[in-house]
Parts: sequence; C-alpha cells; structure tokens
Amino acid sequence: MLLKKLAAAAFAIAATVMPVAAQDFIAGIPREEALIIQGPAAQNAEWFNLWAPGGGASNNGLQQLTADTFWFINPDGTGDAAWTNALASDKPIYNEDFTEMTVKLKEGIYWSDGVEFTADDVVYTVQTQMANPGMGWSAPFTVNVESVEATDRNTVVFTLNAPNSRFHTLFTVRWNAAWIMPKHVFEQVEDPLTYNNNPPVSLSAYQLHSYDSAGNWVIWKLRDDWERTSIGMTLSEAPEVKYVVYRNAGNPDARVIEQMNHNLDVINDIAPEGMFTIARDAGENTKYWFPGFPFAHPDPTLPSVLFNHQREPFADKDVRWALALLIDIRSVSMGSYRGAANLAALSTPPTGTAITDYYVPMQDWLANFELDTGDGAIKPYDPTISEQIAALVKPQWGDSIPSDTEELKRMFGFGWWKQDPAAATALLQKAGFSKNGNQWLKPDGTPFTIKLMVEGDNIPTLARAGTIIAQQWSMEGIQTTVDVAGPTNGQRLGGGDFDVAIYWTVETWGGHPDLSFFLESYHSDFIKQPGETQPPRNLTRWEDERLDAIIEANRTVNFDSPEVAQLGMDYLKLAVEEMPFIPLMAYNKFAPFDTTYWTGYPSAADPYSASGPFWSNLRYMIVALKAAQ
Amino acid sequence: MDGFAKYLGRRLFQFFLVIFLGVSLAFLITNLSPVDPVEQSVALMTNFGATDPRSVELMRQALQELYGLQGSMLDQYLAFWGRVIRGDFGPSLSAFPTPVMSLIMSALPWTIGLLTLSLVITWTLGNLLGALAGYYRSNLLLKLSGAAVMALHPVPAYIIGLCLLLAFGFIWPILPISGGAQMNLQPGLTLDYLRSLIVHGTLPALTLVLVGLGSWFISMRSLVSNIVTDDHVVYAELGGVSSNKIFSQYVARNALLPQLTGLALSLGNVFGGAVITEFLFNYPGVGRLMIQGIYRGDYALVLGVTTISIIAVAVAVFIIDLIYPLIDPRVRLS
Repeated sequence: MLLKKLAAAAFAIAATVMPVAAQDFIAGIPREEALIIQGPAAQNAEWFNLWAPGGGASNNGLQQLTADTFWFINPDGTGDAAWTNALASDKPIYNEDFTEMTVKLKEGIYWSDGVEFTADDVVYTVQTQMANPGMGWSAPFTVNVESVEATDRNTVVFTLNAPNSRFHTLFTVRWNAAWIMPKHVFEQVEDPLTYNNNPPVSLSAYQLHSYDSAGNWVIWKLRDDWERTSIGMTLSEAPEVKYVVYRNAGNPDARVIEQMNHNLDVINDIAPEGMFTIARDAGENTKYWFPGFPFAHPDPTLPSVLFNHQREPFADKDVRWALALLIDIRSVSMGSYRGAANLAALSTPPTGTAITDYYVPMQDWLANFELDTGDGAIKPYDPTISEQIAALVKPQWGDSIPSDTEELKRMFGFGWWKQDPAAATALLQKAGFSKNGNQWLKPDGTPFTIKLMVEGDNIPTLARAGTIIAQQWSMEGIQTTVDVAGPTNGQRLGGGDFDVAIYWTVETWGGHPDLSFFLESYHSDFIKQPGETQPPRNLTRWEDERLDAIIEANRTVNFDSPEVAQLGMDYLKLAVEEMPFIPLMAYNKFAPFDTTYWTGYPSAADPYSASGPFWSNLRYMIVALKAAQ
Repeated sequence: MDGFAKYLGRRLFQFFLVIFLGVSLAFLITNLSPVDPVEQSVALMTNFGATDPRSVELMRQALQELYGLQGSMLDQYLAFWGRVIRGDFGPSLSAFPTPVMSLIMSALPWTIGLLTLSLVITWTLGNLLGALAGYYRSNLLLKLSGAAVMALHPVPAYIIGLCLLLAFGFIWPILPISGGAQMNLQPGLTLDYLRSLIVHGTLPALTLVLVGLGSWFISMRSLVSNIVTDDHVVYAELGGVSSNKIFSQYVARNALLPQLTGLALSLGNVFGGAVITEFLFNYPGVGRLMIQGIYRGDYALVLGVTTISIIAVAVAVFIIDLIYPLIDPRVRLS
C-alpha cells in the first residue's frame, strides 16, 4: 500500500515537472533570435557600473555590447582593415611633441535613453575618474592628463602631462579600453564608485533586457534605434541577432555538452579533448577557427618559459639558452595541445599582423642566427618543425592535414629551436656548470635543480606543457619539479616568487605591429627589487640597456610609423640573442561555434573580428552573423 | 530547575566560546591567505588593456585605500568583530562595493533549498534503509540495496555528479545540467517557476543524495545491529511482541537519537554550501560563492560565509543540547 502511494506521488511530481523539458530553452525568447555565448558567473549580478573596480571587466556582455569608445583594433586583423574608428570620426591627431591629442567625434550617436552623445561625455568621463581614485581608468588619466576640454560639440582636446605618443591606446580597444560614461546619468549620482548603474544606458547597439539575480545569465536586446550607434551606422541592414545571451554554462565538460545540445553557440575555451569530441560528434553543426585540425584560435598572448632574472643562475643567458636547447618542442606540442599548438620562436605571438610584419620577414635572419656555445657556433633554428608536427598528427587526422608547407606554418608555427643536448652541455659548461653522473652541478658545486611553477587546472594546456618540460630537463640531469601555484599564480609571478614558470609575459595588439602594448613596461625604470610587486608584463624582470634604447626610440615615433615594425624587429632579435624567456606558442583557444542557429562566424580565412566572448571586438561578429536557414 | 540553569549556563558559555574561537581562527586563516584582493583587482583591470606601469602603481595605492586594507591586522580584527556584531561583513573585495551580506543573502536561499531538501531525503532514506537492513539482516533486497549504497559511499561527489551530468545531460538529455532555473523565467510562486526549480535542482540534489546516503545507512545499520541484541529487545521478542512494533518502537526509536544529532549538525553545515556539487552544476549557492571568493582573494566574502557557517553549526549544537534532555530521559537524569 505504502509502495503504491510512493509510486503515485513520484508519478505526480514527474508529471508536474516533465513539461519543463518541452519548454523553450529561454523563456519567452525564440531560440532562433538569440545568440547564446559563454559568460561568467557574476557575484554581484545587480552591478552594471563598468567604471568602478567591481565592474572593470564585466564579461557578461556589458562591455562587449553596451560600452563604446574612440577606436577598436581587431586582434586578428592585418593592415588598415584592423583599425576601426568607433566614436571617433578619424584617427588620433597629435601635436608635434605628443603633448596634445585631439579627437574628432562622429555625429548622430545617441545613448539608449535618447540623449545625444557629445564631447561633454568624454570630458566628464576623464574628469570624473580623475576626481575619484579607484575608478577603473582613474590612475592612467591622472598620470597622463593635465587637462581635457571640449572645444566644440564634436571635438575633444587632451593636454598631456608629458609627451606620450601612445596616449590614444587608452581609448583603443583590443580587449577593452576606457569606456565613455553617460554624463547625464552619472552627474545625478552622489558617488560614482558606489552607484550600481542598474539598468545601464547603452552607447552601443544592444541594451539590457533582463538578468538573473543569481548571476548565471544576462540577456541583451538589439536597440530599436541600433542605427544611432557607432557600430550601427556602419551597417546597411539591421543585425539579425535580436538577443544576445551571456550564460554561465559551467565547467568545460558541461560546455561541450551544452554546445552538442545546441544550447551554447559560442564557447570561450575548452580542453583539446572537448574540442576533438565536438569535431568528431557534432557533424555539420559546428565551425572552428581553422576548417579542421588544429581547430584552435591563437590569442595574441605568448605562453613561455619565464625565468626569474633576479634569481641565480637564470640571470645568465647561457643557462637560459641551454635550457631552451634541452626542450623537444614536438613533445611539448603533442603533450600540451595534442599537436594543436601554434609554435613561436620569436618573442611575439604568431597571430594577426605579426605573421606578415615579423614572422615571414625574419625567417632568413632566424635561419642564419648563430649561437656561440663556447664550443663553437651553431645554427639552432629549425624551420621544418611544422612539417614534423604534421607528420605526428597525420595518423590521427589523416587528409585534413594539408601538405602545403606554407599552410602548415600558419597552422603549427614557422619554426622552433632544435633539441640539442650537446650544445646545451657546452653552454652549461661555458657558464661554469659541471656534471656529476647524470646530475648537473652549479658553479658552486651544488646540484642544479629547478622548481617550475604552473597555474594548474585553470589552464590545463600550460600545466601539461610545464610537466613535459620538467620531465625533459630532469632526464638531462637538471632535477625539475612542478610547482602548482593555483590561485596564487598571478601574485607569485608579480612578486617574483618563482624560479621558472610557464605563463605569458607578452601580449600584443594582434592587429598592429606596435609592441608598446607590453614593451613599455619592460623599461628598466620599472623593474622592482626582489619581493616587491612588478607591474604587469616583464614578469621575468629582464633588464638590458639595448632594450631600454629600443623602448625609448619607440616612444618618439608615431603609432603608425613604419619605424614601429623596424623597432619591433630590433626587440625580437635582441630577445633571440638573450633568450630572456623561452617563447613556446600562441595561447591557442579551442572555441568552437555551433551553426545550428547562426552562421558567418569569423575564421582564419576570414578574420573580420575577434571571436572570444570576452573580447569587446566580439560586437563586430555579433552584428555580422546571419540566421541559419 | 537549578540543575537545568547550570546546564544552560554551561552550554551558553560553550556556545559563545566556540563562536569566538571559530570566527577568530577563520579571520586569521583568511587574512593570512597569500592571495591579495588588491592585486586581483589590479590584474582584472590591467590584464588585457594597455596600461603603463606608473598607472598601475597609482591604481594599487587607490585600491588599498578604497578597500580599507590599511592598518595592522589587530585593527582589522577589532573592526571585523565590530561589524559582525552589527550583522555586517563589510564590502566584498571582489565585487566592490557590494556588501558581503547581500551576496550571501542572494546565494543562501539556493543553498538552503537544495541542501535542506537533499539532506532530508538522504537522512530519511539512509536511516530507513539502514534500520531495516540492521533489523531484517537476511532480507536479500535489503542486502542488495545495502551493497549498492556502500559501493557509492566512497565515490567522490564530483565523480557521481559528472556521471549524472553525462547520463542525463548528454547520453539521455532530459535534464538541465547547469543553473538554478530556466533563463528569463520570472521568479515567483508560479507553477512554471517551481517546476523549473525542481528540474534544475534534480541532478545536484541526486548527487548529494547518492553521496550522502551511505554514511546514514552505515551508522543506522550498526546502531540497529547493536540494539537488536539488547535485553529489552530480546525480552520483547520472547514476550511475543510483533516484529513491526519491536522494529518501530523498541529498535528504530532508540537508534534514532544520535542520528537526530547528526541531522542537526548537518543542517547547521548547510550554510557552508555544497562546494563541489554547486560548482559542478553551476548552481548559484553559497558553495560556488565561496569558491569565487577564494580564487579572487576576497577574504571578506570567505570570512562572511565561514562565520555564518560557524554560527549556524554552533546554534544547531546548542539547540540539540537544549532539547536532548527533553527527548532522552537518561540525559535529563544525569
């Protein structure tokens, strides 16, 4: 009797609940009108103030879909096509000594509440943040800006505290930038740091529709007046994506499942195995950056083996070079990315414009580069590495691996250093090291051991790369243990609390040859003492007068000057000679797209926009997508 | 009455001592965390943009001041207790300036709903099966269910959760694998919303039930196995009392007392969240909030969650201590 009652109750609950399975995936919104993008879990879901510290990097669509600023650089683009004037009608105009920058603004742009955007908004943005330390761009404005004024409704003039030929980059989006504040909203607010800006007015083509107070999703809706925005006025017809849903789709396994179930159109990143599952099982309903293997999108960041130059023996370039020559990069590629890595011998990511500006023109120099091992000179560069990787992955991926060597270079990298234990031995001996059995001893006679720091599960590909390199060094007589830093990784890198680490210390515009994006912070003026926190970038604390000279020269030339690429090459050559860190590869992201509802995603063949969900350039992809028929 | 007053006084002293020591220890541990919230915020704002080193230095100083992280640890400890007494844990450092309390309060209903329901199911089912298995030791069905529960018991929650996620999200995709409710559904006391809550909570709840069943089952079965050999049970059997009555009145009731204590303690623990399960199913509860706080060095948030959890467990123990004499005459007499 009891059992019967229990069964009846279970059936009643099931009958009540099961209809949910048949409901729309998003209540009240047709799936074919919505693009679903992987987003983060928001802690403070009610918070939409992009300019306060808690909202500085709102990856839930706020900065990607509602914010706007003067200029955008497509990180995957090349040449002039990579540059977009957004709120500005033209490129920045500097005076001769770079102490003044004038910006001409477009007309006819409106906030989503109908108020017109003008130069007053820009002036308000700068002055308000300067007056409120702690706001997102308060510090760079305070450091750089002496005064800002609107000379007319569409013109803003910045007077700078000191010459700065790169001041405009504060307002130039690669991933984000200084977004313009709505003056008419914030001037009513007592404290802009504690104002939640909910609901936000939008300056771009989408506006807030609804959000989950538990922080799992935010839905953005195409503005009725989308054409009165900087992105909208470039379009000939209305974007077909009516709603953009940023949803936290959970852990990487869950993301794969959600995309296979067509509940997640755009993924930010998953493990290689997840990518291969989608490629194998998703059939025709999927697209990737490359049409097949290696699938992944190379970000303009450069995972490398970082040496702490303030710790012995890593200040010695012979030691650094020896460690580089003990690496078999093919194993690292196979072990970390299962072959789907885009290898880099130069100290800039092999993406976007770097291919044509640096990698292609420098091949001859690399091939002829000679390294003095103390036992003679060697030419360590191996330009055939992409063919070797292709041979390794061909048994698994068959005909999808092309035979054209130029194509292979763009997929797997232009080249890397040959593994050469004999040359490494010579270099270590040159540096005063000796060998006892299979154990290398430092010049003071103590064993040469290394702790190799990796972040851990958060970036599994780099953790795997670190493990493989540790094994290779250990096998060659340098006992290397992997040190998993977890959430303390960033701080330990910044504080110099590591011997050797796997992380990136170089990020670039991607779509522009100027390397000041990271190189400016490499100047020796900014190197901290051991124990003190180093500013972002230059985590190795590499110090070199020749490097300072390159940085200082770069400051004096215009952003778009041809000299920029020449100075970039000077830096790259110096980095090869000194090997301050060992560049490994671009940070390849496995970010497949589901094409069940939307088509026209960017790809290696048509890199018209960034494709990562958190990159603000993503907006250019969203408005270009077409509904699947 | 004097005896009860003394008993109450002792328990009250213990109650406040546990809270004081527990919260102080939590303060010490979280403040010694190597993850610095200012550096996390700086990294968040500068990681992907073009920011020169001079600005970063200035930004760091401004955030130190804004977050109120200046002053000695003793100053911060005293200020912290002042806030705790007012029921305020200050602003979250990773979601500045949102108060920690408001973050916790928005996550707490999800956790309480999920964990209380799954705990009650687990406790009831585990004890019922355990008691039956301990009493009817030769029953094949109970032996099999016991073996199944015991087999699941040592399996970590994330393995069980992952299996459920694959089974019902991928192989036979009939249940949502992420979130607390359907997207864009207006929260409220509507049938649609309640359905959605149940459907989204099914897999996380099932994970918790499958993981938790074993401990209740094992402890109840061993308790019952001991009680069935007690004199009063043997006499009852010899006296011809029906086996149903012996099971319910003589055995299960006696065995239930320690299990009730366990239930109260577990209910207290509800406030700490189910970290792995919430994380796995992307459930918006306190456990997930805690993980976010740890990763971003937000010790105000971690401390807030921990303090509430400590107080909840202490309150649960205190209540149990108070009602124990009422339930068990042996405690009252001693």
